[in-house]
Amino acid sequence: MRIKLTVNGLAYERECAEHVTLLRFLREGLGLTGTKEGCGMGECGACTVILNGRAVNSCMVLAVEADGAVISTIEGEAQGPSLSDIQKAFEKHHAVQCGFCTPGMVMSVKELLADNGKPGVDEVKEAIEGNFCRCTGYVQIVEAVMDLTGRPGGKGELEHV
Amino acid sequence: MFDDIKTADMTYVGKKAGRPDMVEKLTGEAVFVSDMELPGMLHAQLKKSPHARARIKRIDASKAAAMPGVRAVVTGEELDYHIGLYIVDKFILAKGEVRHYGEAVAAVAAETLEQARAAVEAIEVEYEPLPPVLHHMDALKPDAPLVHPELGTYSYIEAVFTPKPGTNIANHTKLRKGDVDKGFEASEYIVEREYSCPSVQHVPMETHVAIVQWARGDRVSIWTSAQSPFTVRNLFCHAFGLPHINVRVQIPYVGGGFGGKAGIGIEPLCAVLSRKAGGKPVKFQASREEEFSLLPCRSALTYRIKTGVSADGRIQAQHMTMYWDSGAYADYAVNVTRASGFSASGPYEIPNAWVDAYTIYTNKPYGTAYRGFGHVEFHWAVERHMELIAQAIGMDPLEFRLRNALRPGSKTMTGETILPSTGNVVKCIEEAARMIGYGSLSADELRRQEKTGWKIGKGVAALQKAPAMPSFTATAVVLKMNEDGSVLVNLALTDYGQGTYASIRQIVAERLGFPIEKVKVAFENDTDRDPYDWQTVASKGLLLSGNAAILAAEDMLRNAYAVAAEALRANPRDLGHDGDRVFVKHHPASSVAFSAMAVGLAMPNGNGIGGPIIGVGRYIAQGLSNLDKNTGEGSPAIDWTYGAHGMIVEVNEATGEYRVLKVASVYDVGRAINPDIVRGQAIGGMIQGLGTAVCEGYIYDQQGRLLNPSFTDNKIPTAKDLPMEIECAVVETPQIDGPYGARGVGEHSMISVAPALGNAIQKATGAEIMHMPMRFEDVWRALTKKEPIDNWITKSPIGSCRSAPEARNRG
Amino acid sequence: MVYEFRYLAPRTATELATVLDDIKADGRILAGGTDLIPNIRNGVFKPRIVVDVKKFQGADRMAFGSEGLSMGPAVTINDVLRSKDARERYPSLCACAHELASHQVRNRATVAGNVVNASPCSDMAPALLCLGARAVIRSATGERVVPFANFFAGVKKTVLVPGEFLATIIIPAESAGAAGRYLKLKRIAGHDLGIVGVLMTRKDGELRFGVSSAAPTPVLVDTVGAKDDPDEAARKVLASVSPISDVRGTKEYREHMIGVYVRRLLSEVE
Repeated sequence: MRIKLTVNGLAYERECAEHVTLLRFLREGLGLTGTKEGCGMGECGACTVILNGRAVNSCMVLAVEADGAVISTIEGEAQGPSLSDIQKAFEKHHAVQCGFCTPGMVMSVKELLADNGKPGVDEVKEAIEGNFCRCTGYVQIVEAVMDLTGRPGGKGELEHV
Repeated sequence: MFDDIKTADMTYVGKKAGRPDMVEKLTGEAVFVSDMELPGMLHAQLKKSPHARARIKRIDASKAAAMPGVRAVVTGEELDYHIGLYIVDKFILAKGEVRHYGEAVAAVAAETLEQARAAVEAIEVEYEPLPPVLHHMDALKPDAPLVHPELGTYSYIEAVFTPKPGTNIANHTKLRKGDVDKGFEASEYIVEREYSCPSVQHVPMETHVAIVQWARGDRVSIWTSAQSPFTVRNLFCHAFGLPHINVRVQIPYVGGGFGGKAGIGIEPLCAVLSRKAGGKPVKFQASREEEFSLLPCRSALTYRIKTGVSADGRIQAQHMTMYWDSGAYADYAVNVTRASGFSASGPYEIPNAWVDAYTIYTNKPYGTAYRGFGHVEFHWAVERHMELIAQAIGMDPLEFRLRNALRPGSKTMTGETILPSTGNVVKCIEEAARMIGYGSLSADELRRQEKTGWKIGKGVAALQKAPAMPSFTATAVVLKMNEDGSVLVNLALTDYGQGTYASIRQIVAERLGFPIEKVKVAFENDTDRDPYDWQTVASKGLLLSGNAAILAAEDMLRNAYAVAAEALRANPRDLGHDGDRVFVKHHPASSVAFSAMAVGLAMPNGNGIGGPIIGVGRYIAQGLSNLDKNTGEGSPAIDWTYGAHGMIVEVNEATGEYRVLKVASVYDVGRAINPDIVRGQAIGGMIQGLGTAVCEGYIYDQQGRLLNPSFTDNKIPTAKDLPMEIECAVVETPQIDGPYGARGVGEHSMISVAPALGNAIQKATGAEIMHMPMRFEDVWRALTKKEPIDNWITKSPIGSCRSAPEARNRG
Repeated sequence: MVYEFRYLAPRTATELATVLDDIKADGRILAGGTDLIPNIRNGVFKPRIVVDVKKFQGADRMAFGSEGLSMGPAVTINDVLRSKDARERYPSLCACAHELASHQVRNRATVAGNVVNASPCSDMAPALLCLGARAVIRSATGERVVPFANFFAGVKKTVLVPGEFLATIIIPAESAGAAGRYLKLKRIAGHDLGIVGVLMTRKDGELRFGVSSAAPTPVLVDTVGAKDDPDEAARKVLASVSPISDVRGTKEYREHMIGVYVRRLLSEVE
């Protein structure tokens, strides 16, 4: 089936097998490999992209379902050569370790902040609940978002005793 | 490599510094093997066993081989390669007999994933199911089926391991210190209990994936999501009898490992497919389900401890028996057994000790290294045991721990003497206790308890771990100066998320005296280009590679000074440098820029001197020895990192539900080279430890089929599972042979989280839990004194938490 | 996903009914896809054709009228949660919706899909049962209305037959304003299937319990009287369920927790 969609502001028109997921289409069809597959079952969130304004697990969306859609992926996040505010906050707070969950995590945070500029800690946790991170233990990620939005809870330091 | 310089007097070490891999990872530009596609690449899929143990009567792959797009089909029958880290006991594909559920019996490489999957489904396998041996305690029975009847014919590392042919015992590690019988005689109390934990999964977010091209002339290129490029190469060459020079292993960004990618995995399988497909590159990526059952997990453990204690609460003797469930293959599990054996008491002084640690084959997915290398599992037992002994003898558990903790002058179980510089476990325990207000509830906590009706309790658990590695473990770092005077760092220690490269960069910049922006640590490791490193495991990376980095920086400066001395006609002794140039100290205007010397200095008349400036640092572990196979005596530990967790938990006594209110963790890291990275390791490991404490674990049916091979029923913590408050602190007792005094802390944060939780639950409610994880139902059962459920092998006759307390007062 | 199939996305409800009539058992209906697509990935279903019910005119309609709240098959869980009207009029519906999976899944999963799957651990079913919701089922031959109390036919089975689809879910206006709370026991605080889930609604003195993960289908218990004491209420609820032991928990613990939850809800839901 021939589909047309807009990804990170660019229009694409492609022939696409009907059983192919949006995740696979983005990675293999468009070469946008920033979005990852962690489980293929919608449990881990590594494949999170923003589809018509909503964070979704792209492993559970067919590419043909997204015909006509507007999609944002991690590759569209940086503004030109410089990182976006979310990316800068993650960088500052060491909110990245192996980096495999990071693209999906950033997309979930992006959707949250588009709806809610000043989320509380619990709202941040709920927004990223569907994004597994096995490395960081999430704390520095939550701190990055809280710091970015100027709310308390964004500071955490190693103590020396 | 410790110089007594205060952190305040340093530029980078101990200070905030960014990670060098951030921009790539935050933009999606970092390329992982799962993202790679090579020209002509084929996709592999596997046929896997639905049985835990079965004889393979027949495999018919002829239909599959004829299907569209299929370029190679291989079965175990046609391969004769043995693979193994310590005991060479594994085929690439099962041959003759399958030994665990999910084991691969045949493989297909095809043009597309769809074709490969369809071909795999067309392979016919006829099995004769055999009765499996599932529980490791059952596997010890005299009539148990043998998982490896040919154990006696396998090659293994004889200096270190002791397999028992004719049994399911892959290794028996012994340790004997002092006179245990005498120690028990001198004891006022004897407490004997049994503890256990199931197998768990590492859950790297990137599953195992490799691309292998077996090109003409037996030149093999491997791209793999692995922790240790040189170990992959070495084991691969041994398995196939290839010269090392023929094999190249490249590791780009790696999406987590936690020990599960420490050794060799799916690379040989891709290799035989590629060879059969005429040299086309073949990619295989494990599905999440395959990650759980095809690839290795963490071993289950049953640990029986008998301790004799004097009237004043001093441990006199301890008898320890560890039963490690290796699963179908020995892999790292035999070395987990060895390393756990010599560390089996935790950070306490045991004057008379007796340890038997067994690695036991069963028909289950096999065990391997996992963050903590056995210490998470056995500290669960040791630190619950310390709590239960304290209770039995009527002493506060904190006081009991402090009374028996290792101190300068103490002797470890292998006979090493603890020095003031070894680290300070007493301070870690005391600080963790202080941070949670151990011993009483605050006014706020009392009010909360009143309001919710949930009981609040506080517990502490201590920990220790040394790297488990060969006594002669070595590494190297090479620094190469670029034309502009900046420096590239090459090493084969991988950074798969833990952040070592950020710290190495700080160390190099500090020692060179260069601005950190001028130092780059190259990601993407390559055995053809990087200097050797043994493995990225054991929390040894920063210590060994950090030292090598210091030596490399010194070598680079020495080489630059030699060129400068010639150019400036000065004695090298009279030279100094800054980030840009080398100058004559007493005539600072007389100088030569690093950029001018970087690739060879051209004199004004055109003569060249020097040559490209590089620095080489080689480091090998110092002073370690093999352990005596009968007594365990020797020096196994390059460094001991100590730590402790304090935990506050609230428990609903009617339901067993609980919430963690606070975790406070303290480690003696020697020197925190990068505080944010230390904190990231501390929290990340603690949450991983909490996952295994709360809910993670493999559940099998009685036929040995894994019932929860996915995230649907094998949950890991999410952001919502964070404790309400987390505090992390470090003690800094410098490690004399650590870089700037640092020692490793990568694994330690995961250790002893579970017993801290178990101790806090017990304090809150009196529930005695002997098996981890502690699911709400387990807590409820302990509270209501119901028979514990053992659904790790459902309906198994072996109880999980049934050991009877045998505390008795002999006075 | 490496199983191949064709994809159809009818643009009207009539066209959808015709397509479903044509393909019958060869096809599978795709709503949010959060169950179907993993099931196809795992080889549980190998449909020849997948029919999208989200693309027809009105499929995503969510309307509050005199009849109550009506929702087309494309209305997602988060559409419900984002609706101020839904939050105000049907708090129990939102309470259940909020417990379903993760945020990303809720952005995609539909209310209709959650009940058509008829999983015993459906989180939306307790709400639809307690609120007296009705299923409007369409096919090429017409339409029938089935109360959700009669909708579930067994483990992962509903009264739908091949050719039919759930066109509209109607939650009656008279259920608006019912107070309610959903307690779901999970292994972790994060997204998880329930070990058990109990919803209680209270309106005009009438109590209803919707129970998930405790029987082959989600269960409605409307026999508890306002004057029953908590133990009697718990007995009645337990008499209507038949929990099993599985990897998530034992029958014994499930029964215990259902009793605890019933008592807790009775004291907490005003």
